Amino acid sequence: MIPWSSFVQKAQSLIDPANFNIPALSSPDHNPSKASLFRQQFRLPDSQNPLQEITADLVLPLPNSSANQGDGSRKVDRAGNTYTGRLHLSERFICFSTQPTSFIPSATASTSTAWTGQTHGTGPSGNGFVLPLSCIRRVERLHSASHVFSLALTTWNGLLNKQQEPNLVPQRLILQLVGSRQACERFCDTLKKGLREGMKEVDNLRTVVTDCYSEYLLSGAKGKGQDGNESDTRQPPDAGLGLIFRYPGDARKLRDRSKMRLWGEYFRENGRNATLIRQPTFHKLIRVGLPNRLRGEIWELTSGSLFLRLQSPMLYQQTLSKFDGQESLAIDEIEKDLNRSLPEYPGFQSEEGIGRLRRVLTAYSWIDPEIGYCQAMNIVVAALLIYMSEAQAFFLLSALCDRLLPGYYSTTMYGTLLDQKVFESLVEKTMPVLWDHLTKSDVQLSVVSLPWFLSLYINSMPLVFAFRVLDVFFLEGPKVLFQVGLAILRVNGEELLETQDDGSFISVLKSYFSRLDESAHPRSENPKLRAITRFQELMVVAFKEFSGITHSTITETREKHKGAVLENIETFAKRTSIRNLGPESKRLSVDDLGTIYDRFYETLYQWEQRQRVIEEETRRQERKRSQRLSMLAPPADTQVGRVGLGPSPTHMDYEAFREFLAATSKWAVADSPGPSGKEPSSGKSALWANRRQPANHEFMQRLYRKWATNPEEGLNLQNVVNGLARLKGSPDIMNNINYFFDLYDDSGNGQVDREGILKISEALLFLSRRGFEGTITATPSVENLNSTADRDHAENSLTTDEKFLGSVSAFIRRCFEYADPSHPENRKADQQDATAEATEKLDSFAIGDDDEEEDLIDVDDTKPASSPAPDATAQTAKSATPESNSDDHNRSTSESANPALDPNNPLHITLPTFRMVVLADELLEQFFESYFPQSFHLSDHPHPAALAASSSMSSNLTTFSNLGSIRSSGLAAGSAPVAGASGGIVPPGKGLRGVLDNIVSDGIRMAAEVKKRMDEAQRDLERNALSREEDEDEEDDEDYPRRENTAAAIPGGIPSWGAGAYGADTERRSIVRDADRDLLEGAEVLGGGKEERTSLLDGKDDANHAPRKVSGSAASAKDDGSPTARDGEVISKLVEFES
Amino acid sequence: MSEAASANAPKPSSSVKLVLLGEAAVGKSSLVLRFVNNDFQENKEPTIGAAFLTQKCSLPTRTIKFEIWDTAGQERFASLAPMYYRNAQAALVVYDVTKPSSLTKAKHWVAELQRQASPGIVIALVGNKLDLTNDGGDVSEAAGAAQDESESAQNGEEGAGEEDEVQDAVSGDARKVSTREATGYAEEEGLLFFETSAKTGTNVVDVFTAIANAIPESSLKTGRGTGAGTGQTSLGNRSAEDSRVNLGDRNAATAKEGCAC
Ligand SMILES: Nc1nc2c(ncn2[C@@H]2O[C@H](COP(=O)(O)OP(=O)(O)OP(=O)(O)O)[C@@H](O)[C@H]2O)c(=O)[nH]1
Ligand SMILES: [Mg+2]
Repeated sequence: MIPWSSFVQKAQSLIDPANFNIPALSSPDHNPSKASLFRQQFRLPDSQNPLQEITADLVLPLPNSSANQGDGSRKVDRAGNTYTGRLHLSERFICFSTQPTSFIPSATASTSTAWTGQTHGTGPSGNGFVLPLSCIRRVERLHSASHVFSLALTTWNGLLNKQQEPNLVPQRLILQLVGSRQACERFCDTLKKGLREGMKEVDNLRTVVTDCYSEYLLSGAKGKGQDGNESDTRQPPDAGLGLIFRYPGDARKLRDRSKMRLWGEYFRENGRNATLIRQPTFHKLIRVGLPNRLRGEIWELTSGSLFLRLQSPMLYQQTLSKFDGQESLAIDEIEKDLNRSLPEYPGFQSEEGIGRLRRVLTAYSWIDPEIGYCQAMNIVVAALLIYMSEAQAFFLLSALCDRLLPGYYSTTMYGTLLDQKVFESLVEKTMPVLWDHLTKSDVQLSVVSLPWFLSLYINSMPLVFAFRVLDVFFLEGPKVLFQVGLAILRVNGEELLETQDDGSFISVLKSYFSRLDESAHPRSENPKLRAITRFQELMVVAFKEFSGITHSTITETREKHKGAVLENIETFAKRTSIRNLGPESKRLSVDDLGTIYDRFYETLYQWEQRQRVIEEETRRQERKRSQRLSMLAPPADTQVGRVGLGPSPTHMDYEAFREFLAATSKWAVADSPGPSGKEPSSGKSALWANRRQPANHEFMQRLYRKWATNPEEGLNLQNVVNGLARLKGSPDIMNNINYFFDLYDDSGNGQVDREGILKISEALLFLSRRGFEGTITATPSVENLNSTADRDHAENSLTTDEKFLGSVSAFIRRCFEYADPSHPENRKADQQDATAEATEKLDSFAIGDDDEEEDLIDVDDTKPASSPAPDATAQTAKSATPESNSDDHNRSTSESANPALDPNNPLHITLPTFRMVVLADELLEQFFESYFPQSFHLSDHPHPAALAASSSMSSNLTTFSNLGSIRSSGLAAGSAPVAGASGGIVPPGKGLRGVLDNIVSDGIRMAAEVKKRMDEAQRDLERNALSREEDEDEEDDEDYPRRENTAAAIPGGIPSWGAGAYGADTERRSIVRDADRDLLEGAEVLGGGKEERTSLLDGKDDANHAPRKVSGSAASAKDDGSPTARDGEVISKLVEFES
Repeated sequence: MSEAASANAPKPSSSVKLVLLGEAAVGKSSLVLRFVNNDFQENKEPTIGAAFLTQKCSLPTRTIKFEIWDTAGQERFASLAPMYYRNAQAALVVYDVTKPSSLTKAKHWVAELQRQASPGIVIALVGNKLDLTNDGGDVSEAAGAAQDESESAQNGEEGAGEEDEVQDAVSGDARKVSTREATGYAEEEGLLFFETSAKTGTNVVDVFTAIANAIPESSLKTGRGTGAGTGQTSLGNRSAEDSRVNLGDRNAATAKEGCAC
């Protein structure tokens, strides 16, 4: 698996503005969904989907109003206009556009993207309307002679004001549906439903509309002194700081008054704000520049942010009060820049302006934590605030970040970088000569153009001109930025061709921007030509000469470059983040760090994805639509951390950490996919198919807790790197032994108690259950050791795995043997002897002087008694073949076993003891020297997953096929509870009793027995009504509920290592060792309840057997790098089955 | 004024690409503004993307024309940086002496440059806002600490560092990064090191002079102009002559630079 590909995909799904609403998982193709195209075209909120569409004629009646108008300046003698186009219906909107489009599911992708072609200045939504259904007051079916299906819509236009507007004629438009009767009926049915819902939102509409300057303008209140005195009292709505601090530019020169008059007329004839109908004049009026007081409102309308505000009119205020007083990094960053935003505008030298800027930026940073705050947003928002209210700016900023400038302000700024690449490639295409020149003279274009895009020319051109660009930009979309940029270069082409370096290149453009208001043809004879300003010229070049630059040009070019851009960003991010990991990380190679980095984020990413699918499923079951905090953002299921989770994840919790470990170490992979009720049973199986089900062992929890600085928060990359660096970073065996000991030193006092010893042994077995990958080899002498008992025929054929069981078994024995009692006063004489012996040996091993303080008392006690260390022991330490000791050991085991098992005698081992015990065994020594650190696979080995996944089928890892029937008995005797709970494989049909005698004790069983005996002893104690507080018991009580499986309830059961980890593994640990027999016999006597439990197991067997095999084959197929659909199915079925 | 023009005779001129890196609001743009225009603005607009300015620096034997790339400091702009430090011969990595986190960020930048920028890039570590510390007030002393080339500058700072710590202990100094810590790091990495104040002008010119001196002769490409030779590099009349081209600026200044290509 290529680690980054999934990342790239994720980012790609974010980049593509049209991709917003498709769950990235279910739509691998890059075609934007029709729904998102629909929303884009009509600038609708993401909650809207295309429900119905039909061809229709829009008939706009002759504007009676103009006839009745007092001024009578316009004698309109044209008939009502008729437009043919497509009528669309969504949940809350009815839209009509002359652009040929289709969004019905059966439409082809090419027809549904048709609008992205040339729009001839009408913007993507063409002529027509986008009406919220709440705007519609009445719909009548018109009777007509022909077969035409006619509807007459009457709107609330002008009726939402408290005051009666003079000369108001209700807005009425006629729609003639063209289609089959059924199609028309269907359309009407849906419309009816929508209208019913829409009626509930009229209040919202009223709130929103009241903030629009157009309402004020048309209410007649503006025309002071004309008539209607009562209307003079009305305050104009907030049309930005400009109302207080004046609007930039000379209003007379901008011909603001006449523009205002024209707009007033347009509104009267075609409706205003939410009920506005777009006719060609609308687009022309925008092209010549908006009048100051209507600018904000029209921006809001054309960008679609009005509909966002309509959707949740109070969101801005609510967000501010909800997060009032809270702090964040974004707020700090915002604070730094407040005084640095358009400082030349007087409004931003005042507390009023600064305050508005602060509130809008802050509120936005809360609803979109993934963006938070990016420098340049301050400049853009400052500019917006000159023309619109805070709430309007807030919603418009949202439309900008989510749709118009996708990814521009994100934490990686991929959108910015991508559009720079797009721009460069457009320059190369449209102006090859200039491009060649730039390349030759090594001028970096994006250095100039980046601020153009990032701050929408606001920081580059004089404000008045930048706002003219914005007027068109909000109507026609991002392509405008490109068109203008190209035009700038084209207009200055000749001069630019003479520049030789960045400096002169930049100067040419700067001086151009400073003279935009000058005549473009100062020397022309023709006064009309002379009157044309450079800015007008620029607009003409941008929209005429570069009219070929369309939305689809941009989309396609983005598509072409985004892979490379993302890769660059990722390489940079990875490089930077690896370099900044701190000194600890230097112990690992750069390759290793790279591997950790990739795996860390890949795991996190996939984990998130799965969580999201699960959440989605849950949500779908609960309620389909829920109010989202962020408005234009895709629903929570398509974008990471959008709503609640905050910016993209940096920390993994324990669950994700398990996945990480499973990708790192074979032992962390569960043997069979465990039952997990959380996984959805259908549809999304691909996500689960590629997955190695991680095991869940107490050891992994310990690792997690050890690595985390704050387990609540999770592990970040730094934690993981540090954790691995300490394990793998030094080849020192002592380091590894210490590390392991520390993991189990719960109290932090340098002691591991009885429970801890057992847990260590469990962990040793857990870690080794998949074999040693050749890192451990037993020397023949070990076999000799093992064959001290009377039965030695099979010794030579023992595999390393099997021998290791012996080692673990010996480990437990020795630990108890050499353990120190925890309460010195409880010591009995024989124990003291044992301790003396232990300490003596300990001394002779002489490892780790640094821990001596801890043993001070013991050492003092026993020093006089210590005899000179025999050479043999020293030798043992080195060769780890304690032949000479073996008898001793066995003997002392039997002697010390009983006190060791007595829960009344709490005991512990210290680090030196632990080291000694480990070093006393060749296999354990090798385990800590090489296997343990090497079992964490980084870049140094082939991906362990490959090995792990196929392991269940291959013979080198399990002795599954070799051991045959013995296993079942071993299993039954030793770890039935475990297997029973985890659903491992239990070959059927073997009698229990009969084989019991021959069974071997492996380490697990040892541990089980020890525990059992302790529990028995405890029960005896209780039966005798000797109530005493016991450390052991307390621990057990705390311990068991934690364990997930039923084994926990069984006295002496081995804590599970999670889903199916152990079924087969316990079986192969079938070695008879006489030394252990006595224990075993005890087990037989004690294990009364075992039989039935095993039979239970047998019953389960068939059920569990089948899926395991299936998963094995699915997994190996996956590892060939060719996950097929069938594998997915299999897994999904499997999941279904298991859950 | 160390680079004040001694030049009435034409000297060989060469251009040096220099990039400024460092955390947001440490004063990168302010340093450049001080160096180029001998000016300081309390409310400097944040740099969007990058700004480009040029300034000449006259050495006894030659004239160096700095092409200065002033970058944006906010973390998320970091991925744009490679675009600007590409082919840079010198870098000013700036931190704020009152903000320890900014030194950490500076170290990251140094590491990034050492691995990714052109080999042999001359890097100067600059602790800015010296005026906010106690020793910042005494301009002459602070300036004396580091006015020569790297070696002597660093040696000088050793002593100064100890003084700092004494001072830190005594007064309500805003300094949070000791000179000693930064010098130690600079020495380790082989960086030029200065503490400056863009506000008062302390050490600012010295940084650029030191860099100009540290650029190996061999790596200098000859400039497009032959020495301008009109003495415009003296601080006094700089603003009139020098080009100041800020990408974000609406009032354009034409690059004259007196060079005849
Ligand atoms: N007291 C003091 N303030 C300074 C000094 N240099 C800069 N400042 C102030 O610090 C703030 C940031 O300065 P800038 O020069 O814009 O910082 P920058 O590093 O360019 O910031 P970005 O462009 O956002 O990366 C401004 O308010 C400056 O006035 C200095 O030497 N002393
Ligand atoms: Mg700056």
